[in-house]
Amino acid sequence: MSSEASTSKPAADTLAQNPEPSKDDESQPHLGVLEEDDEFEEFAVADWDDSQTDLAHLGGAAPGAAKSGGDKLWEDNWDDDDVEDDFSVQLRGELTKTGKGGDSMQQ
Amino acid sequence: MPLTFSEYLVQLTESVTNEDGPTLAYLLRPTSPHGKDLVKEFRNPTRKSLSYYEGGIESPWDEIAIQYVLVVHHVAKKRAGEAFKEHTQLVSLFFRFFTSNSGWTLPALFAILRDLRDLAFDVKYTVHVPPSCDADLQANNNKSENMEEAARIISKAFGNCVTDRSSPLAESRKWGIYYVVGLVLKTYFRVKRISLAKPILRALRANTDIPPLSAYPRSHQVTYRYYVGMLHFLDEDYAQAEQELTLAFYNCHIEAHSNQERILTYLIPLRMLRGHLPSRELMGRFPALDDLYAPFIRAIRRGDIKTYDEALDKWERRLVELNLYLNLEKARELCIRGLFRRVWVVSQKGSRIPVSMFHSSLRLSGIEVPQEEAECLVANMIYKGFMRGYISHEKQMVVLAKTDAFPRLADRPSPFAL
Repeated sequence: MSSEASTSKPAADTLAQNPEPSKDDESQPHLGVLEEDDEFEEFAVADWDDSQTDLAHLGGAAPGAAKSGGDKLWEDNWDDDDVEDDFSVQLRGELTKTGKGGDSMQQ
Repeated sequence: MPLTFSEYLVQLTESVTNEDGPTLAYLLRPTSPHGKDLVKEFRNPTRKSLSYYEGGIESPWDEIAIQYVLVVHHVAKKRAGEAFKEHTQLVSLFFRFFTSNSGWTLPALFAILRDLRDLAFDVKYTVHVPPSCDADLQANNNKSENMEEAARIISKAFGNCVTDRSSPLAESRKWGIYYVVGLVLKTYFRVKRISLAKPILRALRANTDIPPLSAYPRSHQVTYRYYVGMLHFLDEDYAQAEQELTLAFYNCHIEAHSNQERILTYLIPLRMLRGHLPSRELMGRFPALDDLYAPFIRAIRRGDIKTYDEALDKWERRLVELNLYLNLEKARELCIRGLFRRVWVVSQKGSRIPVSMFHSSLRLSGIEVPQEEAECLVANMIYKGFMRGYISHEKQMVVLAKTDAFPRLADRPSPFAL
C-alpha cells in the first residue's frame, strides 16, 4: 500500500513530463533520485544525535557558514589569479593587440 | 498461527490499558500481518454483520476494530476508494479517544494518518468518466480531491494536538504538532496544491504556546523545515528558503541519503548565489547532484560562459521540472563576473580597463555582441555590486576601485536580490 503510493506514477504525469522526445532521457543524463516522481521519505528512526548528522563536520560552527567560517563542505574563497591557462593567454593576446589597454592609457 | 478477531480485540485492549503507543500503531496498520488473518476470517464483512462485536470492548475501540476489519478487507480486494472511506471513519473514531488522552497515543496517530494519506493516494477513479474527457486528467483530479480530503482530516489532528491543555508537558499531545504539519505539507505537495498548505502554517504561527521546534524529534524538525523551505523557495523568498534548507540539511540523518540529496538539490543553487560553492568532499557524496551541478560550478570558478550556457541548455528540461531553471539562469551572472574578473587579472589588476577588453572577453567566449552591449553588461555588474567602479562613457573606459574591485561573492550584502 504505502509502497505502491511511493512508486506508482500516474500516466498523465509521465505524459506531461515528456512533451518533446528530442530532449528525452537519452540526451539527459541520469539524475538518480530526482528522476522519480517521488517525495521526501519517512525517516527510519524518529530521533538521532549530532554525531549522525553533518553538524558533526562543523566543529561547533553554526550551520550556514562556509570554509572561512569553519564549514569545509562549502568554499567561499575560490577566486583564483591563475593566468597561465589558454583562455587567459588568448585574453592577454587581445590586450597587446589593442596595444593601449590598461593603465598605459593614462600616460 | 493466525490471529483471530477475538484475540485481536484482546491485544487492542491490552495496548490501550498499557498505554503502549507503538503496539497500538502496529495493531491499527492495514499492512501488519494480522490484517491478512482477519481478511480470511471474515469473507464478506459489513458494518452490520460486524455490529455483533459492538460493546465487546471499551468504546471507541470496538468500533475502531470493526472499521479495521473493513479497511483490510477493501485493501485486500484492491478497492482503494472504499478502503480510504472506511479508514477515514477509523481515524475519526480514533480522534474521539485521542482528544481525551495524553500523548502516549501519538505513534498510533502518526501511523493511521500516514496510512490515510497513502490510501487516498492509491484511489484511482474509473467510474463516471465521459468518453470525451481525458481519463488520465480525470483520474488525477480525483486523486487530488482524495488527497485534499486526507489533508483536511490530518489538519484536524493538528487542532487536536494543539488543544492539549491538561497533560504534563512530557506527555503532551503537542509533541505531535510538527509531525502532523509536516504530513499536511507533504500531502498538498504531492498533488501540487501547494497554496492550500498555507493556512495550517498560519495557524501554527498563531499558537505561541508550543515547545520550540528544536525540542522536537529530529525527524519532525527536518521534514517540517524541508517543506517550509520549499514553500519559501517557490514564493521566491530565497533568503528564508536557504536558512530553512540549511537547517534541514544539517539536522538530517546522514544515512537518509535521498532526503539529503533532495534538500541539497535546492540548497546548492541558493548557496551558489551566496558565493558558497559545494566542496569536492560534499559533491563526492552525491554523484547525481555532481552530474547536474559540476559543470555550472566549474564554469563559475573559471568565468567560462560558454560552458555555463552549454550546461544550461543540456539540463534545461530537468531544471524546469525541478523549478530551478530561473535560479541557474540567475547564477549566470556569477559566471560573467568571473569572466570580467579574469580580464582584470590579465590586465594586472589595473584600475583602468577599456570597454573593448570586456567586449573582447565576451567574443572569445563565443558571445558576439556589439560593444554597447558589453558596456551595458559592465554597467549592470557594477550596479549589482559584482564590480566596484564606474564607466567613463566618452573615453569608453572602465575605471575600477583601487581596492576590492571584485568583492568576494560571499560578501555581497543581498545575494538574492534581483
